[in-house]
Amino acid sequence: MISIRNVTVDYGRGDKSVRAVENISLEIGKGESLALVGPSGCGKTTLLFSVAGLHRPVAGTIEVGDAPVLGPRKEVALILQNAGLLPWKTVLQNANLSLLLHKEFPANSADAVLEDLGLAGAKNRFPSELSEGMKRRVGIARALSTSPSVMLMDEPLASLDTLTKERIQDLFLELWKRHQFSQVLVTHDIEEAAFLGQRIVVLTERPARVKAVIENADMGELAYRGTETFMKKVRQLREALES
Amino acid sequence: MIDPQAPSRLNRILRVFRSRTVAWHIVRYLVSIGVLLLAWWGVSALVEVVKDRAFLPNPVHAIHEMWRLGPSLFRNFWVSAWRLVLAISIAFTLGYPLGLLIGHERRLDQLVSPMIFIIYPIPQVAFILPLFLIFGLGNPVKVAIVTSALFFQILVSARGAAKLIEFEHITSVRSAGASWWQIYRHVVLPATLPSILTSLRVSVGLGMAFLFIAETTGSFDPRRGGLGSFIDSNIYSPPQAFAGILAMALLGFSLYIVIDVIERIVCRWKYVSGKPS
Repeated sequence: MISIRNVTVDYGRGDKSVRAVENISLEIGKGESLALVGPSGCGKTTLLFSVAGLHRPVAGTIEVGDAPVLGPRKEVALILQNAGLLPWKTVLQNANLSLLLHKEFPANSADAVLEDLGLAGAKNRFPSELSEGMKRRVGIARALSTSPSVMLMDEPLASLDTLTKERIQDLFLELWKRHQFSQVLVTHDIEEAAFLGQRIVVLTERPARVKAVIENADMGELAYRGTETFMKKVRQLREALES
Repeated sequence: MIDPQAPSRLNRILRVFRSRTVAWHIVRYLVSIGVLLLAWWGVSALVEVVKDRAFLPNPVHAIHEMWRLGPSLFRNFWVSAWRLVLAISIAFTLGYPLGLLIGHERRLDQLVSPMIFIIYPIPQVAFILPLFLIFGLGNPVKVAIVTSALFFQILVSARGAAKLIEFEHITSVRSAGASWWQIYRHVVLPATLPSILTSLRVSVGLGMAFLFIAETTGSFDPRRGGLGSFIDSNIYSPPQAFAGILAMALLGFSLYIVIDVIERIVCRWKYVSGKPS
């Protein structure tokens, strides 16, 4: 579904250009969930933004489906760190952003999603009137409103309290299983990666290169978080990051 | 699908005017006006005691003169009002989009900003004589003087506001496939509106000052008119002059209120509260 081949990405321009990602190759299958972890500022987000079509690699190719990524595409949804909500738009307008931009989506494409995520009563509110957890759910609603086949998430639960974080992680798991999209999650939270990633790719310090790949086939159930296998994966991940 | 329970667009706009904050604003303004009138009275009485003459009329005299001079003062009020509103509108229409473009388009910023920072610090008063030479006498030169003073003020504010737009907001719409124009429409314009409205408030004060200069300069102009000219021609009868000054304050205050109302409508997201726990 997503094919990343020998990709190198530079960030910035001219003299200020920094190599963020170096020669990374990854294949993410249809309906697969991949977690990318690595030290802060190592280039995880740059790699994710390249898949989203927001950065152009200086070398290598990225394909989604069978088409090369040349820019943002409607079948690829991106959830940003702080949900990326526009403060001047209501919850419904935020969730319907793709509809506002491209008239091809049905007018009520986000209505059902908002209802599904328990946000029907907050449709006409502004982001400043929402709790952090609700904001993240609006971000998810926006991403789901276009029925994407690829879901990209850039530290979507950063700076949330533990309980809200776990609740939304459960929601992510449920949505991934229900919609069966291919998913790439960038996170610095080891437990989040172990809970949501079928495969976890550990990246090096900048420029990001693949350091280790940890298979995590047992994930997929809400109860997984409390199991011994989960704890073992968390330890394994920690060791891979620290090595 | 229309939700019958959803508040109408008008209701959502009016929501920001129904808050207690608006009532509190009115009370604060009334108290402030009372305090200012009292202070004016005090200073006027003090000047009279020290100088043994009423150089500074007290507020009752000035308000009485306002009432007595009603039609003439009102005519001059409207002349100044439309000159100021027209100048602000022209400066806003030219300065706002240009400032946004310069602030948001990096290459344009590199090219144009040095020119702006060379011209901006020059006192705008220096351009008055060339403007009189270009536009001659009459209304155009007065509007041009105020416009030239406000243009750079608005341009520089818009540029600064466009530079402060959060990267995440741009990324958010870019990732949804927004075009160049859609980025401006859905992010750059709304994100900069609060700053630009603040800049407009500052522009009202600056515009009033330049309008006064424009209306009092060129005493040979037969079509002077306006509050500046009214004050200038009554400079030796303080109660009348102060009636004109009061009318100027009223004009500035009215424009502040108009900008406030516009802000509450176009930036109503700033005025909502009641975050759930």
